[in-house]
Amino acid sequence: MDFKDLASKLGIDEEDFMELVELFVATSLGDIEKIKKSLSEKSCPDASAASHSIKGAAANMGFEDIARLSADMEMQAKQGSLENFDSYINDLEQMVNALNNA
Amino acid sequence: MKKKQTYTVLAVDDNLLNLRLIEKSLSKEGYRIFIADNGPKAREIAFGEKPDLILLDIEMPGETGFDVIEKLKDSSETNAIPVIFLTGVIDVDSKLRGFDLGAVDYITKPFHPLEVLARVRIHLKLSIATNSLIADQASRLRQITEAQVAMLPTPEDNPQAKFGVYYRALEEAGGDFYDILNISDHITGYFVADFAGHDIKTSYMTASVKALLAQNCTPVYSPLESIRMINDVLVEILSEGKYLTACYMHLNRTTRKLTIINAGHPPVVCLPVDGEPFLIKSDGDILGMFKDPHFGSETIDVTPGDKFFIYSDGLVESAENKITWASGADSLLPVYKKISQTSYSMAPEELINLLFGKGATPEDDIVVLCVEV
Repeated sequence: MDFKDLASKLGIDEEDFMELVELFVATSLGDIEKIKKSLSEKSCPDASAASHSIKGAAANMGFEDIARLSADMEMQAKQGSLENFDSYINDLEQMVNALNNA
Repeated sequence: MKKKQTYTVLAVDDNLLNLRLIEKSLSKEGYRIFIADNGPKAREIAFGEKPDLILLDIEMPGETGFDVIEKLKDSSETNAIPVIFLTGVIDVDSKLRGFDLGAVDYITKPFHPLEVLARVRIHLKLSIATNSLIADQASRLRQITEAQVAMLPTPEDNPQAKFGVYYRALEEAGGDFYDILNISDHITGYFVADFAGHDIKTSYMTASVKALLAQNCTPVYSPLESIRMINDVLVEILSEGKYLTACYMHLNRTTRKLTIINAGHPPVVCLPVDGEPFLIKSDGDILGMFKDPHFGSETIDVTPGDKFFIYSDGLVESAENKITWASGADSLLPVYKKISQTSYSMAPEELINLLFGKGATPEDDIVVLCVEV
């Protein structure tokens, strides 16, 4: 992922952008934990809210893949289904961690 | 060096990352940013810091953006702060509701920091322009007030007229007006008027009336003739619904005759040098309304030391207590007795202090003129 390009698209410098990426990773991992918990408790509203939070942040940062996946998760949870969430959470976690290592 | 003008923006969003993104991109451009991740905290900062603009997320847990703006618009301290909504909700109803509640604009999420910056700039510019327009208008009104006060003769400049005055315009441009006319060495005219309405037009009219008084209050005309002539011109120039109540007092200090012409104005109070205060009631039509009016006219003999009070209805009327001057004037006579020993120059102020208490704010424009024979 080209952070320099994403930063310039947002009109901020790379250093600031990296700070935001760090924050994004930390809060998103926290949200992912919330989704895991809601999955074990079978709570769709909690899963939807945590997905919503990741979606909003990812969309603003320009992380389109993460935004798309969390948007789908939010929508599905809103409709009352947590089907395949195990695998979604896995994918999501990988994407977020990839940011950390980039 | 000129002090730098820093604009402050309050950003409200429950998503911390969004807040930081806004903070970084706006502070880079020189704005001072406050952030809040919930409604109550946002209101606390809005009241405490009075930011120049607020970026407000609609969807927040607990107190929503709608709740926050509603409360901000409810308070005079925060209702002028422009609010831009951040909304992920795309339905029109929610946007309209935001505008309804007083938002100036909205930004859809996901937002781009440069769009946020552009909208913040536009709305700060608008707000600055509006504020300077208001300041400009207020300063013009103040100029009118100053011009109006400059039009009012002072006791210091007219010692031979032996009068004291209290004048207070409630609005920036008041509806009350008085004038002193030095008709000859020993004849003085005193004029007090109250225009219907207190707008800027009214204050322009005072200039016309002042000019008319100067032209018509001369030794050639009797007091009644003077006022009739002024009336006839005013009927021509005043717009419909505009009129004034007025009292004209014509004092000849040689013949010791005082003539009072009353045009729908509260009665003159006479405070004799020795004796009880009494009202000189004479009914008359208002000025500037009718072509062939009837004005109250009364001529009395006076003694040196007698004091006369002409005043506008703001002195005796009270909207709060539903008192009109017809009943109010009588009830004030005992108050005049209390100031019978006060000099004519101090009497008007003393009267106001007795009636309204020191430093109190009367409900209406007020002018009180005290004349000593």
